[in-house]
Amino acid sequence: MRDVIAAFILLNAVVLIVTYLTYVERKFAARMQSRIGPYRVGRPHGWLQPIADAIKLLIKEDIIPALADRPVYNLAPIVFLIPSLLIFATIPFAPGLGLADLNIGILFFLAVSSLEIVGLFMAGWGSNNKYALLSVMRAVNQIISYEVPFVLTALIPVVLAGSLQLSAIVEAQRGLWFVAYPVIGQLAFVAFIVATIASENRVPFDILEAESELVAGFRVEYSGMKFALIQLAEYTHMFGVSCLGTLLFLGGWLGPGSAHPGWGAVWFLLKALFIFLLVTWVRWSFVRIRVDQILGLSWKVLLPATLILLMATGFWVAWSSGHVA
Amino acid sequence: MSLEAAGFWGLALVLLASSLAVVLSKNLFHSVLYLAVALVATAGVFLLLQAEFLAAVQVLLYAGGVVTIVVFAIVVTERLVGERLAQTNRGVFTGGLVSLVVLVILVLSLWRADLPRTAPPPPADLTQAIGRDLLTRFVLPFELLAVLFLAGLLGALFFARKEE
Repeated sequence: MRDVIAAFILLNAVVLIVTYLTYVERKFAARMQSRIGPYRVGRPHGWLQPIADAIKLLIKEDIIPALADRPVYNLAPIVFLIPSLLIFATIPFAPGLGLADLNIGILFFLAVSSLEIVGLFMAGWGSNNKYALLSVMRAVNQIISYEVPFVLTALIPVVLAGSLQLSAIVEAQRGLWFVAYPVIGQLAFVAFIVATIASENRVPFDILEAESELVAGFRVEYSGMKFALIQLAEYTHMFGVSCLGTLLFLGGWLGPGSAHPGWGAVWFLLKALFIFLLVTWVRWSFVRIRVDQILGLSWKVLLPATLILLMATGFWVAWSSGHVA
Repeated sequence: MSLEAAGFWGLALVLLASSLAVVLSKNLFHSVLYLAVALVATAGVFLLLQAEFLAAVQVLLYAGGVVTIVVFAIVVTERLVGERLAQTNRGVFTGGLVSLVVLVILVLSLWRADLPRTAPPPPADLTQAIGRDLLTRFVLPFELLAVLFLAGLLGALFFARKEE
């Protein structure tokens, strides 16, 4: 029963944080473009805007295309959202503050987040719309290409820490955060950020929703609450990956006063916000690149680079622990 | 009925129903979605057996990878090239015969096998144990798999090359 209550609180906290992440992104983007951003709803600085957006989407008309594959179309947003929320089950926010600290934590994260593609397919196919279909095709190209480097970079901290358990990976960074690990750490972190941006389909890798060509990609036919669910799923996943980056490279909850779970959680959230803003910063600074450039970057640069980096990390760990003479 | 048994029967029901739906559904895309359900339910069975590592790999490779590629193939052929893919097959008789033989073999081998009645205690660190066995006891099959993958890669390159 205690677990159920904890899960309920966690789920609501995550949804609330993600709702406000959209606000943070809009304000941040506005700042970068010398605008003000949302301002009118709620004082000060339009802080009620996300709530107003949510209510607006809730009461909008729900339109189902006549030729859509109805069950698939209707289920898609839910199938898309569930993995995004599930990944938070294994994330430790502070020592002892997390739902389930599985000993295969990171594997669980990667496995569950790979399920997201099924929901994406269902949305694209079920809509029976040519833009949505083209978007799904591009999504497959991109997701297959970037899944591999993403997993390989996520494995580098695993090799350094010698554990798949996320809390153990954080504890291994007590002396030195993995992002500060000489050479290996910085390269792996950069590769991780690039793979994150690609797997989250954000600019410069957002060909699957490219507004100027595909309108809005796979979600073009969705409206009202279903659109809100898809949007929520995307931002939740982005937040989840930010949390993963925090755990793998930025020392998780470690920081001054982090012996107390409250302070640990504060540090954790600040670091996750940092990664989120980093990705947002890239999003609002770059232009979209072509499909072949995206695939070329993945297979010709990122994949060999992460593979070599992972092998180098393995050799270094074996050598420094005295297994190789 | 214990919670574990209830979980097993529930999963078994989902697994059987979705597997049947894979072959009985007329719509190929729906078949693939049912296949994804079946694969995730299999991961659930692994979880019940306390093989978390196997469950996660099952989801990552099958539900995440294989389903993706199958759907890709369907989307490209059916919607973009416009070729209608039929899910049904004329060879009902031979197909039935083959599945009957497989069923008999499976039932017989399970019947004859002397299976332990109680679960052996799982090793302290299952992931470590799998990793160690993979690179010592089972190193030959492991390397053979790598050769197979290489052959697959080369084959794909051969088909994808530009015509001279």
